Amino acid sequence: MRMPVEFRIEDILSRDRRAIARAVTALESGDERMHAIRFSVAEHVGHAHVIGVTGPPGGGKSTLVSVLIEALRARSLTVAVIAVDPSSPITGGAVLGDRIRMGAMQSDDGVFIRSLASRGHLGGLSAAAADVIDLFDAAGFDVLIVEAVGSGQSEVEITRYADTRIVICPPGLGDDVQAIKAGILEIADAFVVTKADLPDAARTEEQLKAMLALRTDQSIVPPVMKTVAVSGEGIAQLVDWLCAREHKGTRHLGSPANAARKLLSKLIRADGYARHLGLELIEASPGSATVRMEVQAHHINFNGRCHGGAIFALGDTALGLACNSYGRIATLVDGQISIASAVEGGEWLVAHAFEVSRSRKIGSYRVNITRARNGQYVAGLHGTVYLLDQSLQVEGS
Amino acid sequence: MSKRPPKVIVTKIGFDGHDRGSRVITACLRDAGMEVIYTPPWQEISTVVKLATEEDADVIGISSLATDHLIIPQLMKALRDAGLDDVKVVVGGIIPAKDEKELINAGVAKVFHPGSSLEDIVNTVRSLAESRTHSEV
Repeated sequence: MRMPVEFRIEDILSRDRRAIARAVTALESGDERMHAIRFSVAEHVGHAHVIGVTGPPGGGKSTLVSVLIEALRARSLTVAVIAVDPSSPITGGAVLGDRIRMGAMQSDDGVFIRSLASRGHLGGLSAAAADVIDLFDAAGFDVLIVEAVGSGQSEVEITRYADTRIVICPPGLGDDVQAIKAGILEIADAFVVTKADLPDAARTEEQLKAMLALRTDQSIVPPVMKTVAVSGEGIAQLVDWLCAREHKGTRHLGSPANAARKLLSKLIRADGYARHLGLELIEASPGSATVRMEVQAHHINFNGRCHGGAIFALGDTALGLACNSYGRIATLVDGQISIASAVEGGEWLVAHAFEVSRSRKIGSYRVNITRARNGQYVAGLHGTVYLLDQSLQVEGS
Repeated sequence: MSKRPPKVIVTKIGFDGHDRGSRVITACLRDAGMEVIYTPPWQEISTVVKLATEEDADVIGISSLATDHLIIPQLMKALRDAGLDDVKVVVGGIIPAKDEKELINAGVAKVFHPGSSLEDIVNTVRSLAESRTHSEV
């Protein structure tokens, strides 16, 4: 049997559909390729306009997304859609039915639709959604539409990942007290009253506008628009409004984790010693970094085991990345290691460094080094760093 | 590292619109813990190929009650042309014995006839999905 196609980052960037689909599966499964994909796409993101669509089940999200795709395609924009549906809390199974309403676009190569099951993740998305958004962004789609799980009131995770948030409000769901409750109504950049040909639509619109008038902050008031998907009424206005928004790519400015990933992947590439040892960065956030190493022949000591210096270097690299993750130069002034277990050639070690404390001048960091295979503790490192009053200068790549 | 649930597309190609069977199978696979993409009937072959590509599906289930199975060899060819020959295809419905042979020759993994047990269908789909995922590196 032919082996399935492996994906390469170049294939993703050149928008090879099969490579993209495979990469999404890897991100969803959380297998070891996930980190590699995450880091290789990190530097290519920030171009797509990410639009989140949320609202109650049966409210018309998929239908609205479907007409939005058509309207965006008519303006020559390429579109990727991530449609999240709930997984069963009992069996883990799911029926992914959102794309059945996106029928007209099924043969258009400028449209890529992927369904994700929430797999027990709360918040309205799936655990992989943020990574999948970055993947489609890196693949060069102009617009990404993320359709969240049909949401009640508090599934607001979409706020973190979208540049623009649309909350749909079909007519006839509850009185005006519902409209002033906390939750998804607070996160909207725009409200869309779907199914606006229904008799209650005008009242729903009024209630939303009344709710907005009560807000303390009146500096930005989200628009309330009405749409009728079957006739196309209101769609052009909505697309005009979306295209005029200048919030494209802004989600990354607000994501410290992404900024840290981007910075640290540059740092480790610029580090000759890390390259020599074959160290690989697998996760980063402000104040923490995770690095792995495969123990190879050049790490082995006279006794046939992994050299303590190599283990220290692994831990020190993770620590160095963690304390430099804010973009300010930090340098190790004192470090101690204790080694609990001997390591053989061919094993994978993972070093996770995290911040214990950080003041204006001094930072304290710990590193746990474990076996990748079973999480067994191998060594611990503690280090004190001195924080300089200078920003890091790294060559952009 | 977590194993993903089997991802299955349940669809109908051709002109027949009797979709009760595909809905029953969809619900049954869901209850067995699979992630199922359900589509309405009347799908085009190119649509099914695009769907299988984008969703990275493990198994495609085609329901056929009124001779639509005769175009399944064209679907198999389209899947191969798109590089999707690792995706398993199963067919369920009214399939005459002489056509079954032809479908198997065209690459269909299994044909289910009326009276097939849901348990058998679930187990077959699951092991086909697992054989596809296990062949990956």
